[in-house]
Amino acid sequence: MVEDLLRAAAETEQAHFSLVSIDVNTIVFTLINTLIIVLIYFFFLHKPVCKILDKRAETVNKDMDEAEKAKNEANAVKAEYEQRLAESKEEANRIVADATRKAQQREEEIIAEANSEATKLKQRAEESIEREKKRAINEIKGEISEMVVMAAGKVAEKEITAQDNEKIIDSVLAQIGEES
Amino acid sequence: MTDLLKTAAEFTVEGPLESISFNLGGWRVVISESIVVQWIVMLILAVVFFILGRNLKVKATSRRQMAAEYLVTFFRGMVKDTMGVKYNKYTAYIGALFCFSILSSLMGLLGLRAPTSDLSVIAAWGIVTFVLTQRNKFKTGGVKGFFKGFIEPLPFMLPFNIIGEIANPVSQTLRHFANILAGSVIGGLVYFALGQIANGLASIGIPAILSLYFDLFSSFIQAYIFCTLTMAYVSMAECSDD
Repeated sequence: MVEDLLRAAAETEQAHFSLVSIDVNTIVFTLINTLIIVLIYFFFLHKPVCKILDKRAETVNKDMDEAEKAKNEANAVKAEYEQRLAESKEEANRIVADATRKAQQREEEIIAEANSEATKLKQRAEESIEREKKRAINEIKGEISEMVVMAAGKVAEKEITAQDNEKIIDSVLAQIGEES
Repeated sequence: MTDLLKTAAEFTVEGPLESISFNLGGWRVVISESIVVQWIVMLILAVVFFILGRNLKVKATSRRQMAAEYLVTFFRGMVKDTMGVKYNKYTAYIGALFCFSILSSLMGLLGLRAPTSDLSVIAAWGIVTFVLTQRNKFKTGGVKGFFKGFIEPLPFMLPFNIIGEIANPVSQTLRHFANILAGSVIGGLVYFALGQIANGLASIGIPAILSLYFDLFSSFIQAYIFCTLTMAYVSMAECSDD
């Protein structure tokens, strides 16, 4: 029994197609197998990979668009900041110029004030000097006249009338006035 | 040498085995060795395609994805370059056929009978080429263009045109089949001959060099040629006039 089966198996294994032959069964099965392989290739590999490639292309395009947009935005912001910077520089310059102008004005005012004050002080000082001078002269005048009277009385050792007295004093004073 | 010649009669090359045979409604279905090996190839390809094609990311990081993308873009580029952008729907067939053909031929390396050394297998692919060619001709030219194509440039060219239409797929079929078969026959002969010399020790190393050409190189080049010819025939069938 087993021997029969083995022999049968051996016999079936011995059955070969001829080397160059066309067999309809093989053709049909090959067509089916090829179709299956095409489907497997398409659905397992081709489609997912194409999908991912398309998605990647889309992502890259999107990223590039976004980068472009970001660049434009950055440029706009930069321009704005540059403008602002220029404006603040101008402002700063204006403030400094203003301050300088004000300071100069103030300086001139202060100098003018100081000058007028000095002039006033000088004037007052001169006035007081003049006054003191006059007072001193008057004092000196009084003392000298007394001394002169005393000296004259001593020299003349005689009574002089009031009239003579005055004449002498006046002449002495005139003399002193000329000298001083 | 005389011994070798004497024993040479022992070397025979047989066609594929009739692996399974049964009757199906009066039709005797014979599944040949080629089909069984094809199933093995299909299983391998299914697993490889599945592993390559799953879990893909937009930002590719894995070598697996790189390989998958390289493979797909390679076939896409091949179809685009040979046939043009409008034929890119043929990419799936060409890609699958290329992989199927290469791996089938390489099965010879595992000691299995390469399905591509079976004329019936390649004939099936040749029939596909023929059908695709005629279909494309019909699609681009319509009924009028389809029949007009046979009597161009002159009506008496009709027989030659018909022969030409049939000869294209037949020639590419025979080329592929015969190259792989011849490769395996030569390989078998070399093994047989070297096995007779020095008690078979000579068969170490030397066949590897021949195998490199007849199995590896030939497998790739024949698959490539078959696919390129298929693409060329299909795209050339386009009726440009009308």
